[in-house]
Amino acid sequence: MQTVRRCLILVLTAAAYAGLLAQSVALPNRADSVKFAAIGDNGTGDRPQYEVAQQMTSTHAKYPFDLVIMLGDNMYGGQKPSDFVKKFEQPYAALLAANVKFQASLGNHDRPENVSYGLYNMNGQRYYTYVRKNVRFVALDSTLMDRKQLDWLDATLRDAREDWKVCYFHHPLYSNASRHGSSVDLRLLLEPIFLKNGVNVVFSGHDHVYERLKPQKGIYYFVSGAAGQLRKGNMEPSDQTAASFDQDQSFMLVEVAGQDMFFQSISRAGQVVDSGVIHRQQRPAS
Amino acid sequence: MARRVRNLRARIPRLWEFGLEHLLLLPAGAAIALVWANVLPESYYRFSYAIAFAVNDVAMAFFFALMTKEVVEATAPGGVLHPWRRALLPVIAAIAATILPALIHVQAVDVLDEPALTVAWPVTFATDLAFSYFVARIIFGRHPIIPFALLLAIASDALGGVAIAVFHPTEVHHFTKGGAVLAVALGLAMALQRARARSFWPYLLIAGSTSWFAFWWSGLPPALGLVPIMPFLPHAARDPGFFVDASPDAKDTLSRFEVWWRYPAQIALFFFGLVNAGVAFHSLEPGTWGLPLAVLVGKPLGVLIGAGIALAAGLHLPLRLGWRELVVVGFIAAIGFSVGLFFSAALLPPGQLLSETSMGVLLSLAGAPLALAAARVLRVGRFAR
Repeated sequence: MQTVRRCLILVLTAAAYAGLLAQSVALPNRADSVKFAAIGDNGTGDRPQYEVAQQMTSTHAKYPFDLVIMLGDNMYGGQKPSDFVKKFEQPYAALLAANVKFQASLGNHDRPENVSYGLYNMNGQRYYTYVRKNVRFVALDSTLMDRKQLDWLDATLRDAREDWKVCYFHHPLYSNASRHGSSVDLRLLLEPIFLKNGVNVVFSGHDHVYERLKPQKGIYYFVSGAAGQLRKGNMEPSDQTAASFDQDQSFMLVEVAGQDMFFQSISRAGQVVDSGVIHRQQRPAS
Repeated sequence: MARRVRNLRARIPRLWEFGLEHLLLLPAGAAIALVWANVLPESYYRFSYAIAFAVNDVAMAFFFALMTKEVVEATAPGGVLHPWRRALLPVIAAIAATILPALIHVQAVDVLDEPALTVAWPVTFATDLAFSYFVARIIFGRHPIIPFALLLAIASDALGGVAIAVFHPTEVHHFTKGGAVLAVALGLAMALQRARARSFWPYLLIAGSTSWFAFWWSGLPPALGLVPIMPFLPHAARDPGFFVDASPDAKDTLSRFEVWWRYPAQIALFFFGLVNAGVAFHSLEPGTWGLPLAVLVGKPLGVLIGAGIALAAGLHLPLRLGWRELVVVGFIAAIGFSVGLFFSAALLPPGQLLSETSMGVLLSLAGAPLALAAARVLRVGRFAR
């Protein structure tokens, strides 16, 4: 009886995955698009992190993204030079060898001095910005969100002329995971700046799950904090939740092609657990 | 025995009066904040952000002015800081009792895998003057340990203020510009003193506001802006005693200041608790334990080590003060509360680190029951045979 039940669960799970695969939106993989991956809460140095990294490497062969945005908690526990090898350089060795650039933001488990680690490409800055074609990326330090950083963010977004404005940082402004949930204190500081300056998409980690939120005041939010850590069953979807996945580690693939942003969330086992396309929102009147 | 009970009963009501007047509103504000932040976080943070500047940077200036008034009076004959050399031993103890918790904190948050919290180490310096005085009086009555505990707290807080100014993780200080304005403020206060100004208002409105602006411009906590001005206010020839409220008929400028600002400062404390103690429980991680661990272990050990160094250097402990009393004082000194919350807010912007540090400060209140337990186990103060 027990075996029959297990088989049934297995079949249903496989069917669910097959359903997801059937519905998943393919990435267009255009030559002139901006392609990147997003990982959060990855640096455990444990097997799941290596398996997610392996999945990223396999994907890279077919889908050559050249950028990985890191959503913080890039390293847990010890953060000695040997830990950088074990928890970063080894798991992502193939991607680093293929000249994929990692652009990190820091989380509460990262040492502040990691801003100077060369392969994070932060150039010693807690928060910074860069451009890829028609996308303006802004990496923030949500662990120390001081007035100076907020003023810099406002000025940076105001002056940005790119079609897309993408912000990423560790603590999610919206999240329906039960462990942490939304960082309401930060939301009240950041959201008005995002709204005023027409931010399109925000990526965060911290909660060890995947969640896509329905647009909040017109902005798309993703939580992708399970590229190494996982809190299985931690999601408590609400009416804000568009999709979520908390059964396995995961990472995101994103492609910005003109006025569309395609995305997929891929599990450690290589299943596409969520996908879709976002059409660029209209800029605010201001 | 009967006499002791009678003495105790005679003392406790006065102490409780002190407790009601000085210690009730801050915990009330903190308790409301904790509930509010966890039930209706959005409205709580909207409210606290809206009034944070008015409370933390303006209203609290009067609270710290009143604390400074106690210290200024303590330098007068009869005060715990008179003569200055009496302060040497507690100051040495305070140095050890601040260095050790800070070191433990840095190590603890690393072991607890939250190294980002390292920047909060200056908060471990904080000791709540009024709360520690209250607990010390409950345990020791009028023992010579009371001035020792107060001096320890004053020195620790002063060192904490310096640490926050020097090691602020994000603020860029403009000491030169601010220092120049502060020099003007001090000059104005001195001129008022020489002109024998009797009312506290010119000191407050002219010299005080200039000094407040100097602190704000420097990037230092402007709530400390009145601190350098208070010593210029004429005060009574003798110290009436620590936390002894000035009489409504008092004539000296410093006492008039206290009479006027005593209750507004308590209201400021209530709002200070309300604005700063609202911690969302879901934002807490194991690193939160770093601060209470650091102060509850580090302060008693630091006091012992510091006192040991002072004794080795040839200083003498006051009469009736031994290592057992010092351990209890160490636990009392761990209570950061108002000063700890102030240091947290001055040091850290809103977010997870501030939440965890503020909660750590609230947990440091465990120093009070631990001090009582230690006094009972070590049989000191009211538990002595």
